[in-house]
Amino acid sequence: MAEVTVYTTPTCPWCNRLKDFLQEEGIAYNEVNVAEDPEGAKRMVKLTSQRSVPVTIIGEQIVIGYNPEGIKELLG
Amino acid sequence: MDKTYYDLLIIGAGPAGMTAAVYTARKGLRTLVVSKDIGGQVNWTTLVENYMGFEKIEGPELMRRFKEQMQSDHLFFIEDEVIGLRRDGENFILTGKTTREYWGKTVIVATGKRPRMLEIPGEEEFRGKGVSYCSTCDAPLFRDASVVVVGGGNSGVQAVLNLLAINAREVYLITDFQLTADQVLIDRIKDEDKVKLYPDHLVTEILGETMVTGVKIKSRETGEEQKISVEGIFIQIGLEPNSEFINELKKNERGEIVIDCHCRTNVPGVFAAGDVTHIPEKQIIVASGEGAKAALKAWEYLVNSRLASDEQKK
Repeated sequence: MAEVTVYTTPTCPWCNRLKDFLQEEGIAYNEVNVAEDPEGAKRMVKLTSQRSVPVTIIGEQIVIGYNPEGIKELLG
Repeated sequence: MDKTYYDLLIIGAGPAGMTAAVYTARKGLRTLVVSKDIGGQVNWTTLVENYMGFEKIEGPELMRRFKEQMQSDHLFFIEDEVIGLRRDGENFILTGKTTREYWGKTVIVATGKRPRMLEIPGEEEFRGKGVSYCSTCDAPLFRDASVVVVGGGNSGVQAVLNLLAINAREVYLITDFQLTADQVLIDRIKDEDKVKLYPDHLVTEILGETMVTGVKIKSRETGEEQKISVEGIFIQIGLEPNSEFINELKKNERGEIVIDCHCRTNVPGVFAAGDVTHIPEKQIIVASGEGAKAALKAWEYLVNSRLASDEQKK
């Protein structure tokens, strides 16, 4: 299964909701908290051209915002 | 289609909707809450220091506790965004974005508000690519960046403070008139070298290619336009009510639902509470109180309708 990485901030409600969804679905993921990790923040902007969290990277695909359907579709 | 009937349909699960649900469930009313989320605007608030019983509490944590209190055999929750309300005889029918329909004898509208947009070129195109409405969420992505904040109210100044806290390079605060934020907040930014104030200015366009590279602003006094190079723009110009899905209800010029002191709308059987209404105080504690009032009146309405109907049968 493709690796799932979620870029978040702790104060972002949609990030927390997205993490709840991933946990409920039993989807393993890496979390990059961009509030604590400036390099992670730079990497997120470079990889995704986004400056808004949450962003999920699945393999090489990007899912913007809280989009459970988009994530399910990519993970089959 | 599943036609489960409820005594009461509550649209929205912010402080007003959740409080109303707790009250009606305690009255034994079969209550359905339909909402696209739980917590509403409070989820976007960092620290709440004026909700009684909690000296300091994070907004999402307060809403988690509200949700915990919504436990009852009479209470049901469905995640859906209501996009229509119509009447069918004695019942009301809500239509959700999922195309599902929900049937009930009374309705409480507690849909709250959402961030207002500037409605200028570039705003939609660069949303998430430098345009943001949530500084508590997205400020950390603007370390060492130059950023514009639009709006001189408390949330605008708070956005400036959030950006200073993560070491933004420069913050331009653009306000169409003067700052209207609480003095205690203004005092925290007024001597900051990194903050450039532009009162009496309008943002007219957001510029960029793949991401935001600047904004155009215009002086209200002279009409003179200038470009500012920035990587981001936080739009904090207030809120607008989530009320457009209901045409039958009387609203004021801001689109807020007009209610009387019992939370009754102009349509018998439909009540409204919280920030979506024209009640001027937009506070968590006020919205909760209004939710309780609406719930008690909805209960009274149902009791009276049953009595009237029994009377007719005799």
